[in-house]
Amino acid sequence: MVENKTPMIQVKNLYKVYKVGDTKVYALDGVDFTIYKGEFCAIVGPSGSGKSTLLNMLAGLEKPSKGEIVIAGNHIEKLSENQLVTFRRKHVGFIFQSYNLIKTLNALENVALPLSFRGVPKKIRNEKAKQYIKLVGLEKQMNHMANEMSGGQQQRVGIARALAVDPQIIFADEPTGNLDSKTTKEVLGLMQRIVKEQNQTLVMVTHDNYIAKFADRQFHIVDGKIFKIEEQHHEETKGDMENVQS
Amino acid sequence: MMRFSDLLSMSVNNLRRRKMRTFLTVLGVLIGTASIVVMVSLGIGFNELTMEQYASYGSLTEVTVYSNQSSGGDGKNEPKRMTDDVIAQFGKLNHVKAASPLLQADTLMSQGAYQANVTIIGVTPEYMDNISLKQGHLPDKGKKELQMVVGNMVARQFSNPKSRSQDYYDDPTKIPEIDFMNRPIFVIFDTDAYYQTQNGGSGDGKTPVKPPKKYLLTTAGLVAGGVEDYNNYSYNVYVDLDVLKSQLKQIFKKKPIPNQPTNKKGKPYGYFIYDQAVVEVDDMANVTEVQKAITDMGYQANSNMEWLEQSQKQAKMVQALLGGIGTVSLFVAAIGIANTMMMSIYERTKEIGILKVLGFDMNHIRDMFLLESGFIGFLGGVTGITFSYGISFLINRFLAGHFMPDMPGDLSRIPLWLSIAAVGFSVFVGMAAGFFPSLRAMKLSPLAAIRNE
Repeated sequence: MVENKTPMIQVKNLYKVYKVGDTKVYALDGVDFTIYKGEFCAIVGPSGSGKSTLLNMLAGLEKPSKGEIVIAGNHIEKLSENQLVTFRRKHVGFIFQSYNLIKTLNALENVALPLSFRGVPKKIRNEKAKQYIKLVGLEKQMNHMANEMSGGQQQRVGIARALAVDPQIIFADEPTGNLDSKTTKEVLGLMQRIVKEQNQTLVMVTHDNYIAKFADRQFHIVDGKIFKIEEQHHEETKGDMENVQS
Repeated sequence: MMRFSDLLSMSVNNLRRRKMRTFLTVLGVLIGTASIVVMVSLGIGFNELTMEQYASYGSLTEVTVYSNQSSGGDGKNEPKRMTDDVIAQFGKLNHVKAASPLLQADTLMSQGAYQANVTIIGVTPEYMDNISLKQGHLPDKGKKELQMVVGNMVARQFSNPKSRSQDYYDDPTKIPEIDFMNRPIFVIFDTDAYYQTQNGGSGDGKTPVKPPKKYLLTTAGLVAGGVEDYNNYSYNVYVDLDVLKSQLKQIFKKKPIPNQPTNKKGKPYGYFIYDQAVVEVDDMANVTEVQKAITDMGYQANSNMEWLEQSQKQAKMVQALLGGIGTVSLFVAAIGIANTMMMSIYERTKEIGILKVLGFDMNHIRDMFLLESGFIGFLGGVTGITFSYGISFLINRFLAGHFMPDMPGDLSRIPLWLSIAAVGFSVFVGMAAGFFPSLRAMKLSPLAAIRNE
């Protein structure tokens, strides 16, 4: 993997400045990094460090004040809001902290929803959704509504929803923030496994160093600046072993 | 691109999710639509009833022309008289289909013990074609004898001169049974002579007057309608114009024909002049124009159109007023829709954010909300129309009789175009009310999805 590295996300000299009254607050203060295809990266930092702002900007939910973000060859800082929506529809999967399933739809329909945005006919998208529901191990809960499932189950549906569209990148915003430690391990193991199996690129934001260790690389961010990048090759095998054990 | 059917089912699901609120909003539109439709249907009904009433008094495309009596009064000018030439001129005017003079002869008719003063009117066969018959047929063309078409109320004029009771008009059952179709009628044309013989001689008492000849006339047809149903042809007897002319010449010979003017020596002119003529116009819209042309020629012209135009103006005002009242309630309903949509957006802020993060097109967000509000309008429109038909039925069944007992026919009328227009309009109102909320939804920030509450 190290041999043929294809850059997926390139961030150059990124700034985000908020004005609070007369003072300027630097949420991001000159950030540069590159994430390669097939990588599982974690952006780690305490609250207020700017990690969520960074993720929002990578996903095109917020505009940077200055700098470049190139994702799969697209300069997303130049896109209009509607173009960003189109970009996300085509290239991005998103996993939320509070799962954010649509409450009026069942698990299968939730997974199929982003496919309907692309105009995939109902029959095909339901088949595909079933396939991903199986992948996250929820065959039995396929027809359950969101409030009939546990947090861990809901997050698995969220993961299946992010995967079902075959995105080039998956963003995860504190994906285990609302889960207990056992379920956290299960969900992270699942994400790790799927990234490996499907050669997906996953960018996860977390404040928890333990959770960050599941990633291949960790970007430690404090006060809007990256102060350390850690690589953990051994984590893959360790994670897999843990997965096998559980 | 997302399929329309998916978008539609999303919208409908959103409405189904909040059944009570959707129901109440639809109810508002229902009331709004129904009030417009019922009001307009009353306006239409009122207008059409008026039209029907005028039409029953006589054709709406007819102009009646009178020779202008007053212009003869100033002594200098010969009064404008209508001769056959003038009638022919009327016939040549633009938009005129046919012009017929009405040659009137006052006669005394009798059958059995009953007699009556009846006006026989000579008209052209074209004019006769307009008369709808209950029985028999129009006079045969080319026949030399007078054949009568008898008005449906002529029988009311008959009375027995020997009996004193004259209350026929109050009680329809006492109208004498005159058998027009099977028995001939005795007709006296020279009524002056008849009354003189009745009084025992001429005015100056010198020359005894010969009793006038009685003619036996047969009836070809009876005008449609019962003895109580008035129409334009009810009170008269119609005969062919040319036959009547030759008959009158034969009867009166050298004597002046009554109603026909004479020269200064009391001798009749060699031609007939008419007090009255009827001009048939090709379309209602041209009646006023023709009427003016005839007035400009120096004759007095009347038509039902004049009255109709006035009452149509009135009916339009009534319609506009009623429609306006209805529109106010639909406007209130529109505010209700807008309010519902705004509330829905506030509730769904997070959900809309999620959809945006997942790549739901912004235009589709707008469309989804427009579809929702349009669907509310559609439901309200359809139920409103159904409701209106019910109300309309009740009005016609129970109310119309109280307010307008003399006008038969439906007071509230909902033509098909009104139903379709009402549904279309309520869909439009729904979408218009949902437009700004939908723009607002479209512009909501996707960051709402990220916030954890």
